[in-house]
Amino acid sequence: MSERIRVLVVDDSALMRKLIPQILEREPAIQVVGTAMDGAFALKKIEELRPQVITLDLEMPRMDGMETLRQIMRHYRLPVIIVSALSTRGASATFKALALGAFDFVTKPQDAGANSSNLQEIAADLVSKIKVAVHSRPSTLAPDLAKQPTTRAPSKPAARVKQAATKVIAIGVSTGGPNALQYLLAQLPADFPGAILVVQHMPEGFTEMFARRLDEGCAIEVKEAQSGDLLLAGRVLICPGNRHIKVRRMPLGDIVVLTDDPKVNGHRPSADVLFRSVGHEFGSNAIAVLMTGMGDDGAEAMGAVKIAGGLTIAQDESSSAVYGMPKAAIERGHATRVVALEALANTLQAQCLPERARAAKL
Amino acid sequence: MSFLSDENGADLRQLFFESAQELLHSLNEEGLRLEKNTGDAETIRSLRRSVHTLKGDSAACGYHELSELAHAVEDVLSPEVAHTENPRLAELVLAAADIFTLMLAAYRNNAPLPSGEPLRALIRKATPTQQAGCAGSSAPNEAAVFRWTEYEQMLLADGANRGTVLQVQIEIDETCSTPKAAYELVRKALAETGEILVVHPEEKSTAPLICIEAAIATEEKVSDVVRKCKIPAIVSNVRVLPWAAGSSEARPALGSNSGQRISADPKPKTGAAPAASAEGTLRVDAERIDAVLNLVGELIIGKSMLHQTLAEFDQRHSKDPLRGRFADAMAFQARVLSNLQKSVMKIRMVPVEQLFRRFPRMVRDLAKACGREVRLETSGENTELDKSILDVLAEPLTHLIRNAIDHGIEAASDRDAAEKPRHGTLRLNAFHQGNQVVIEVSDDGRGIDRNKVIASAIERKVISAQQAAHLSDAEALELVFHPGLSTAQEITSISGRGVGMDVVKTVVERLKGAVQIESRVGQGTTFFLKVPLTLAIIKALLFRVAEKVYAVPLGSVLEITRIEGPEIHRVDQHEVMQLRDEVLTLVRLEKLHGNNGSLKPKRLFVIVIHVGGRKFGLIVDKLVGEEELVIKALSDQLIATDLVSGASILGDGSVVLILNLTAVVSRLGAIDAFLAGTPPVVRDKGVVA
Repeated sequence: MSERIRVLVVDDSALMRKLIPQILEREPAIQVVGTAMDGAFALKKIEELRPQVITLDLEMPRMDGMETLRQIMRHYRLPVIIVSALSTRGASATFKALALGAFDFVTKPQDAGANSSNLQEIAADLVSKIKVAVHSRPSTLAPDLAKQPTTRAPSKPAARVKQAATKVIAIGVSTGGPNALQYLLAQLPADFPGAILVVQHMPEGFTEMFARRLDEGCAIEVKEAQSGDLLLAGRVLICPGNRHIKVRRMPLGDIVVLTDDPKVNGHRPSADVLFRSVGHEFGSNAIAVLMTGMGDDGAEAMGAVKIAGGLTIAQDESSSAVYGMPKAAIERGHATRVVALEALANTLQAQCLPERARAAKL
Repeated sequence: MSFLSDENGADLRQLFFESAQELLHSLNEEGLRLEKNTGDAETIRSLRRSVHTLKGDSAACGYHELSELAHAVEDVLSPEVAHTENPRLAELVLAAADIFTLMLAAYRNNAPLPSGEPLRALIRKATPTQQAGCAGSSAPNEAAVFRWTEYEQMLLADGANRGTVLQVQIEIDETCSTPKAAYELVRKALAETGEILVVHPEEKSTAPLICIEAAIATEEKVSDVVRKCKIPAIVSNVRVLPWAAGSSEARPALGSNSGQRISADPKPKTGAAPAASAEGTLRVDAERIDAVLNLVGELIIGKSMLHQTLAEFDQRHSKDPLRGRFADAMAFQARVLSNLQKSVMKIRMVPVEQLFRRFPRMVRDLAKACGREVRLETSGENTELDKSILDVLAEPLTHLIRNAIDHGIEAASDRDAAEKPRHGTLRLNAFHQGNQVVIEVSDDGRGIDRNKVIASAIERKVISAQQAAHLSDAEALELVFHPGLSTAQEITSISGRGVGMDVVKTVVERLKGAVQIESRVGQGTTFFLKVPLTLAIIKALLFRVAEKVYAVPLGSVLEITRIEGPEIHRVDQHEVMQLRDEVLTLVRLEKLHGNNGSLKPKRLFVIVIHVGGRKFGLIVDKLVGEEELVIKALSDQLIATDLVSGASILGDGSVVLILNLTAVVSRLGAIDAFLAGTPPVVRDKGVVA
């Protein structure tokens, strides 16, 4: 950490061009080398200032954020962190940007000056993402991923048969998750026999659009979870931002329950909460998967799944955009298998085969 | 502890207000453009961007009400709405700009916020119908909407095996003060009708009880269920809907964000981007520029100090070869200094467009309010003017425009009768004239009737009938600026007839400028606002009167002449002189010292100046010369009169007072009997560096 991380802030709002550097300059390891008010200007400044990480607003005049991102990806391959508006349109654009290769996103700062915890959270979020982004490899996966939803229209069954799942797969994922999940879920067939629950660290308001996008690009059904939703074969439930998700076995079927319990590991949703609940309710029929992401959320409770007899999988280092969470699970000895992203879909499918599930019950 | 220091927070808010102001300007502009081209996608996109930025910025500063309102507007400005070519959209945008402006002002002054409800109403009108929520909506005949979770649907389906499944929505009376008991009673009533499959809210819920939703499996009739559940004084309304399998399934997961609509369409490619003027611009605090300007001012004073020293040196050592090198160096320094000064002044210069752009919206609204058809034409927008002057000019221009629309331009029917085009034309023009900028406001309306003005002036005892007889046309029109005339007349909602004209004059004169009127009855009126390019530095002519140094702006000096005492004549109460074929009113500056000018039989200098379209002669003792003066602002306490508009410091450290010519000639010259106030006295000791 001898050298400070050089950051370029791109935003058409003069206010943000002042606020974001102010936030970042509190962090000694980061140096804001410049700001730019639109895309064309940003590209020039990249040449000039050679930043290591870029924060980018998507709504800008002249060359908009998306085009700017494309150019940055094509010519510079620098990690870009999207500073996204909290709105439906903002969320939609953000996921498009992630598909184009943006490293991650944060929400726009709010309540500056007030005694606001929001600003502190966003600041911490942005700072840690910048620190990780600077060490990230330029993703080679992303450009192919971006094409997937259009090139391969998923074949959705006209009417789904409600069928109980053979296994319950709980996935915890954070930074790099949107693209990795898209990659994984797009490979699963509509008649996938397991039920999948996902804790993706993501702010409130983004998960709905995230689920919608995934649903459009995948044969398997993806929806944002609501309390009382059933765990069904061939269904993925994404936990909404700022809620926790748990599972409960009921007389007529298995459901998810959303709660407003306090944050765990600084996260809500937290993978630890999900894993513990899944391990407790489903035992050997549970599978816990920890994928790319910063920090160690999920690593601890993966042990609970393992003890309960479930399978625990960590994504391998080379396919993880950020190897924090999988590594934490491996280091604790809680991961029974380490699987590359490319192989994950096959692994899960094999594990969920009905025969195998029955065998596990015995 | 706040995350940012207070200072940073204040800085940020300052920046927010500035940039919000700009956003609102463009909102107004784009709104007007949208009014002309309904549904223009490019305009709507740019509008959305402005609103979007405003939303983000205000949220960042913690101004949530504004942010939420902006969010609502941004949602309306979706590409889908654009397709509908909704003419209400422009109206909505302009209304939004108004509300935002009010909110900004309220935030800035810590005043109570204006209600956003009128705007929200407009938004609702502009957007396609929204679905009504379940709880809280009290329209009695509306079909109840139930949202059962998937598991609850299974419970309902399961219950259907044991009886008819009814969905029941029970609204709790607002006046009910014991919600816990109410809940228990309702539950009990439900249990009597059949098997409760589901009930919302759950028993331990702490949220305020507004509405209980339940599903029951029962053998009873719907009407019986309603009767049993309708507990007097507790339940205000009961709705029952039979449940059928699959009826409420596969509802889109709108869940918590039901207010938001989704636009997943790809953003259309931006076509020809607007001019790249923004590139490479730098936002600098005006204070910093002022600081530099101040230093330049000091340098200029330093320059004149050097000049004086050099002059003395010249006299003492006229043979010294160093003298020439000194002079060269001085000349070089003077040239660089003058370039430096110009460059710094240039920084402060902004195009008049920044001022003009406020008016299209205003003209539109005013014309609407007055029932006029008005076309606004602007020209000379690129003329540059000192920012501080520009800011001050907004108020007088607003007055003039209001007056032009309210009183100048006639109603369309009157215009038809006068065989003029139906729509009136209001022109704003700006151009350079010497080191002044002239801003013209002209209308093609009914003009100002000189005789009516005079009549009304006499009636209000502003002038006597005798004086009225001597007034030139220009002087007569000038009377509209008199406070006695411009107030206290019939007042419409927009402007009283001429109300505020004295304000116009006062403001412009405070800027060391002048206002002139030209008007022809039936053809229209033109106001000329003449203001200096800058307030900071002026070229001035310096002279002495009674051993004191004074200065007048060089721009108002026409010529200098000399006269003998006997050439001064008296006409009425004025001293005049013959200058070629003109008669010139003379002003004696000795009066500044309360010393009522006795004729001194010697040769005198007369500085011929023009003020407000008229010529005057200033009688002075001695000419000092021409110099660039760096104007130092004077605090009000130091000067007991408006005769002096500022002061400056000369190279030798002495103070020079800069005269406010308009006040000087009106008080000490011309029709002084009527316009003079208190005897003017300048407190000598009052001026400091």
